[in-house]
Amino acid sequence: MMYDNEFMQKLQDIQKRYEDELKNIFSRMPGAETERKTFSGITVKFLYTPKDIEKTDFLDDVSFPGQYPYTRGVFPAGYLSRGLHIRQVTGLGTAEETNQRWKFLLAQGANALSVVPDDGSGNRADSDSARVVGLVGKGGVALDTLFDYETLLDGIDMMKYPVHLISTNAYALACYLAIAERRGIPFGELRGGMSNWVRPETECLDIIEFCARNVPLFNAGYLDMRNVREGGCTAVQEIAFGVATAMAGCDRLISKGLHIDDFLHRITWFVNAGPEFFEEVAKFRALRRVWAKIFRERYGAKNPLSLMCRMHCQTYAPTLTMQQPFNNLIRSTIYAMAAIMGGVQSLHVNSFDEALAIPTEFSASLSVRTQQIIDLETDITKVIDPLGGSYYVEWLTNKLEEETIQLIDSIQDMGGAFKAWSWMCDEIRNAAMKNQQEYDSGEKLLVGVNTLIDETDIQREALKVLQQHAHFEALYEYDPSFVDKQIKRLNKVRQEREPEKLKQAEAALIETMEAKQNMMPALIDAVKCGMTRGEFAKIKADVFRQPGAGPYVCSPPYVLA
Amino acid sequence: MERVFRVLLSRDDWYHQRGYWVIANALKNAGMEVVLGGIQTPVAIARTALNEDVDLIGYRIMQAAPDMVVRALFQEMKANGIMSIPVVVGGIISDREEKVIRELGVKAVFRSFDKLETIQKHVRAIAAESFVET
Repeated sequence: MMYDNEFMQKLQDIQKRYEDELKNIFSRMPGAETERKTFSGITVKFLYTPKDIEKTDFLDDVSFPGQYPYTRGVFPAGYLSRGLHIRQVTGLGTAEETNQRWKFLLAQGANALSVVPDDGSGNRADSDSARVVGLVGKGGVALDTLFDYETLLDGIDMMKYPVHLISTNAYALACYLAIAERRGIPFGELRGGMSNWVRPETECLDIIEFCARNVPLFNAGYLDMRNVREGGCTAVQEIAFGVATAMAGCDRLISKGLHIDDFLHRITWFVNAGPEFFEEVAKFRALRRVWAKIFRERYGAKNPLSLMCRMHCQTYAPTLTMQQPFNNLIRSTIYAMAAIMGGVQSLHVNSFDEALAIPTEFSASLSVRTQQIIDLETDITKVIDPLGGSYYVEWLTNKLEEETIQLIDSIQDMGGAFKAWSWMCDEIRNAAMKNQQEYDSGEKLLVGVNTLIDETDIQREALKVLQQHAHFEALYEYDPSFVDKQIKRLNKVRQEREPEKLKQAEAALIETMEAKQNMMPALIDAVKCGMTRGEFAKIKADVFRQPGAGPYVCSPPYVLA
Repeated sequence: MERVFRVLLSRDDWYHQRGYWVIANALKNAGMEVVLGGIQTPVAIARTALNEDVDLIGYRIMQAAPDMVVRALFQEMKANGIMSIPVVVGGIISDREEKVIRELGVKAVFRSFDKLETIQKHVRAIAAESFVET
């Protein structure tokens, strides 16, 4: 950080003496690990000093929050002006159960909403199809029709609590927009977002294009790198693969006639926060810097909003254990602290029971409380970028940036992320395998699993006692009666809709899609006429010649996580 | 020469697939031939098992209700006369669900952080036990 020569000389002498002393200490500790590697394979020393960040320029590389290259955060006043969004993933049973859970979380003080449907692929048959046996309302909420979305959003102020739809499906967006329209909310003022992975697919690009032109505050594009990280990759891969994917998507959208500044600010990130605290903090900082630099220098983006990398974070789940389940509260709290010290905008903290089941009200409320305690009781949110200036964190931020840029460039050399997709998948799977082997061998430690094993496991015992005796639900159990309930809801729509109107709307939608025009306007009309998600999936399969005859219209080659 | 067992590996839904690929690689490394079924309905799994003439079915269940999909799988296997193929399950399975699916006929249930070595050994033993030379 720009120290004068005299100081550096003096430092070097003192540091040399210190390092000799350290060597001496280690020489008396046979087998001591004198250096270690981070999750991303970066070799880390015991101590960092000004010497390690000698070349870092405060104004160019670090700067102020809200200023290029946004290393310290995208907003000038950090959490002081824009508080943390406490946004827990929600989705269980039918729209009624999920709406109730939302209201419960808001009552606990959550201030943002997200919903996960039970159709991960977004291309699924309706809930009465034999193809979805066992899946209805199980891993998410069953949302077959606009009626389900209406129930979901019942009593929810969409202006106050914009929703994030965890879906790649244009159908979900069409329903969200149809409801906003009915409530008299102009598209120009509507906020929210969806997990619309940037990918080379008409549906994805149509969503981003339509929103860029009509729903400008809606976060229409998404870099779901959090789940890629869950898939096994490293922190460097998480951000490098994401930036490279965004670049590939931008190339496609620019070729559709859009300007980079029309849409880039509505592509947001979904990131992870894992066990290695400082690497995670440095990762968020490096990501903001890489994002700003790449899109300014290589894509000529001028709108500052385009260069501000905004993130929703969900804490790391592969280390959540079934053994000693309450330990997961502590793990997730530490991961959440990294996310908040790293300056993410929005956060989901995993519940302690997520290695066992979908969270209950009980466990989800603890996730909300974790964030509130960090926010209200500690000083963590009170100083912006509190770890900025730490020799270690600044050095690690630089190192992660360097490795990320290298990886992005090698992906670009392969023809960009869409072409390098299968290579990236292999890298992720290899990393997952390596990670698993490290836990199996005990090279990486996990309390309750490969160290500090408790044969009696009083924590599981405690959970069992709660299950047997508590007046509330202590561990989630799927209720198979959701299936009948959902099929009744679906049939009600099928009986009440007007077949002629629906037929016309479907024909118009197919015509638009075949003519390669943006599908969104016709899709909004069709959902208003009662078209179901299964019917839309069928149309997509027919028009885009996806393998619709198979059990699923999915498992596309670009699924990484 | 030791027999090379053919294992069908299928999963219930889209979302996360880390464990699926780790297990696929682990079984391959243990000298088994792994048929990647990908995301399949219970009916499709049974038919693939028949067509691919596999020695064992490995079913990753994370999103689906285990008892419902396992019941559907066995029903289709029965209809196709392939009940002799052993089925093992891995994923997020509660103690209650494990009891139910074991009663239905599932031979083993694996969960996160079961060691790969253990899984490899059990899968091989189960495949060998059910294998009848024809």
